[in-house]
Amino acid sequence: MTELSTRQLTKSYGDRPALEPLTLTIESGAKVALVGHNGSGKTTLMKMSAGLLEATGGSVQIGRHDAGTQEARRLLSWLSDMPTFYDDLSLWEHLEFVARLHGVTEWENRAEELLEQIGLTPRRDDIPTTFSRGLRQKAAITLAFVRPFKLMLVDEPFVGLDEPGKQALLRLFDAASSNGATLLIATHELSFVKQVGRLLALRDGELIYDGAPSDTDVHALVLPT
Amino acid sequence: MSDTALDVLYDLRRRRKRHRLGDIEWFDAAYRVYLVALFGGGTVLWISSAIGDETVSANAVADVARNGPALIGMVTMLALLAGMRSGAQGGPLALEAPDVTYVMLSPVDRMRALLRPVTQRVRSAASLGAVFGAIVGQLAGRRLPGAPVAWAASGTAFGIATALLWAGAALIAHAIRLPLWMATSLGLAGLAWQSAALAWHLPGPANQFGSLAMWGWRQHPIDLAAALIAAIVLLVGVGMLQQTSLDALARRSSLVAQLRFAVTMQDLRTVILLRRQLNQEQTRARPWLRVPRWISHPIPRRGIASVARFPATRLVRMTAFAAMAGVLQAMVMRGTTPALIGTAFMLFILGLEAMEPLSQEVDQPDRTDSLPIERGELLVRHLLAPAVALIPFAVVAAASAVVVLGTSRAIAPAAILALPTVLAGAAGGVVSIVRDAPDPTKNTQQTFVPPEMAGMSSALRVGLPILVSAIAASTILLVRHAERSGTSTTGAALRGAVAASLLILLVSYWVRRRDQWRRKFRQFMSDGQAYTKQQRSTS
Repeated sequence: MTELSTRQLTKSYGDRPALEPLTLTIESGAKVALVGHNGSGKTTLMKMSAGLLEATGGSVQIGRHDAGTQEARRLLSWLSDMPTFYDDLSLWEHLEFVARLHGVTEWENRAEELLEQIGLTPRRDDIPTTFSRGLRQKAAITLAFVRPFKLMLVDEPFVGLDEPGKQALLRLFDAASSNGATLLIATHELSFVKQVGRLLALRDGELIYDGAPSDTDVHALVLPT
Repeated sequence: MSDTALDVLYDLRRRRKRHRLGDIEWFDAAYRVYLVALFGGGTVLWISSAIGDETVSANAVADVARNGPALIGMVTMLALLAGMRSGAQGGPLALEAPDVTYVMLSPVDRMRALLRPVTQRVRSAASLGAVFGAIVGQLAGRRLPGAPVAWAASGTAFGIATALLWAGAALIAHAIRLPLWMATSLGLAGLAWQSAALAWHLPGPANQFGSLAMWGWRQHPIDLAAALIAAIVLLVGVGMLQQTSLDALARRSSLVAQLRFAVTMQDLRTVILLRRQLNQEQTRARPWLRVPRWISHPIPRRGIASVARFPATRLVRMTAFAAMAGVLQAMVMRGTTPALIGTAFMLFILGLEAMEPLSQEVDQPDRTDSLPIERGELLVRHLLAPAVALIPFAVVAAASAVVVLGTSRAIAPAAILALPTVLAGAAGGVVSIVRDAPDPTKNTQQTFVPPEMAGMSSALRVGLPILVSAIAASTILLVRHAERSGTSTTGAALRGAVAASLLILLVSYWVRRRDQWRRKFRQFMSDGQAYTKQQRSTS
């Protein structure tokens, strides 16, 4: 079953194209890495898939639903590289709120488990807006994983993370993947690319590679023109 | 599940409200309310007394009856234009960034989730409209037939109806993704129609709105259609909330948070800057003109490069401010003294808009401090390019004043007074920019300021720049006095120009010396503290 599909998806800002017509499908349970130089269109593609950005042309579907619809939002978890938090709620309250919004009533055990894994248990009652860059990223990770999802879109997840944080995140990816979730991860961490089954590469908004990471020189793919 | 999600959302909002209420410094909040009531109420009372209580002539009453609805309707059409442009630019809603990430991306019914932000937006717009409507209404009631209270009530109704129309138009324009050029064209077309209605006594699109404002005097049941239309437009807009663009909400969310903070800090310069960003106003990639080669000094070159990149929208806005300042000065000449306040505001904002090179320098304190030139010297040199750029706007102000006054005798005084008044009025903007700048002379140690002083300091922070602009605008009073006493208006204009020029020099000198004075003052205070400490230890 297809979890994410785009059809002639395009985005331009004024006269400047950010994404050339893109047609692709990602099957359920796949773990896909998305690479490309800065400004290649990775975040644009992710945001359009999450429903945060309107396409100039074409369409995106999450499962069988148009991106951004209520059903699509139920299926999709979005982990941004620029996490945002309420400045008057603790991390624990954030977890409660996000989990319950997605219909999870028994959320406490899952939240405690995530905090433990990522190393934020001692900070659970603190306000995440006061956290350092790395801790904010960790807090955002717990929020992305505390709710159920079929597809997770992740933008630059390793930025600011220390080594234990990176390892914990990789374990969470593996667990989600083994539970049948689909992962699309945009990253500049080329060592991570070896761990996925499929690699997509964008250059100047154009898909220049779609295949196994082992069949290509990944470093050459991320060079700008 | 969606009902459950909504329950969770309402629960979250209740909890956050409790947190916020718990965090409020009630004494501080009450003190701010007290200050607003004191200064706001005082201003309204002053305007009321300046307007006077004598009723206008029968001819003037007939004139108001004939032209009033169309003239007041212009305000409604301006609000409609502003609403459509706001919607086309992603407004009028602004959520917090985490609301976009967590609420809007959850399977909650977006329309119902957005109802509260819409209600808050409409409520604040309607309150603002009601207050302005009531103030203007009661002022009109002092001179026109009908009780002031009735006029205040009808002004309130007009203000609310216009605010609802603004909000509804903005929501609809947003939902249908109305392109900005089309929103502007439609709004201007409506404005042109209303202007034609005013000039040739045709039925105007907003005449009923204007007529509703005059219910304090005479009531036409058909005018209720205005309120009905405003309510329908708003309901249609609310009904289209599902089409709200997350893209726009996400873009506006961070800017609005900064905007609220800047408003809280009374940082007017930042408010203007953020409003520009909110409206997606970009400086031009290709400047209107290249910096001439013969200008070799880097500071004027940098200033001209900045001014030459002003976008067309800002130039149009500045022209409108200048024209409005001229119209208001003409009203002062005709006897409406409180119009001076309006002129002061127009010139102040014109100054904030024009002083971009200075603002940019002030916004980069680290770079400024690394330059081999004293900061005061640097800042004062940055005043030159914007001052030159203001010359055409002074011409616009003079021309609009002469047109409104409708006499060639106004040409000479306007020509003499316009530039010094515009520059001195813009000096209010300079004071605001420089006062709001990060202070390199300040050490990191915080000094305790009692609430009474903090309140006064807040009032000064906002009031002083406007006061400078108001002093500049009040030079017109010399000309008015000369006209009324039959002496030379040209001579009076010259005296006014000299006074305005002195004000410009004074502000420039203050910019130049401010850091030195502050350093000396701090040194004096710290010497005093050290001396007191020494005296205590010896005794």
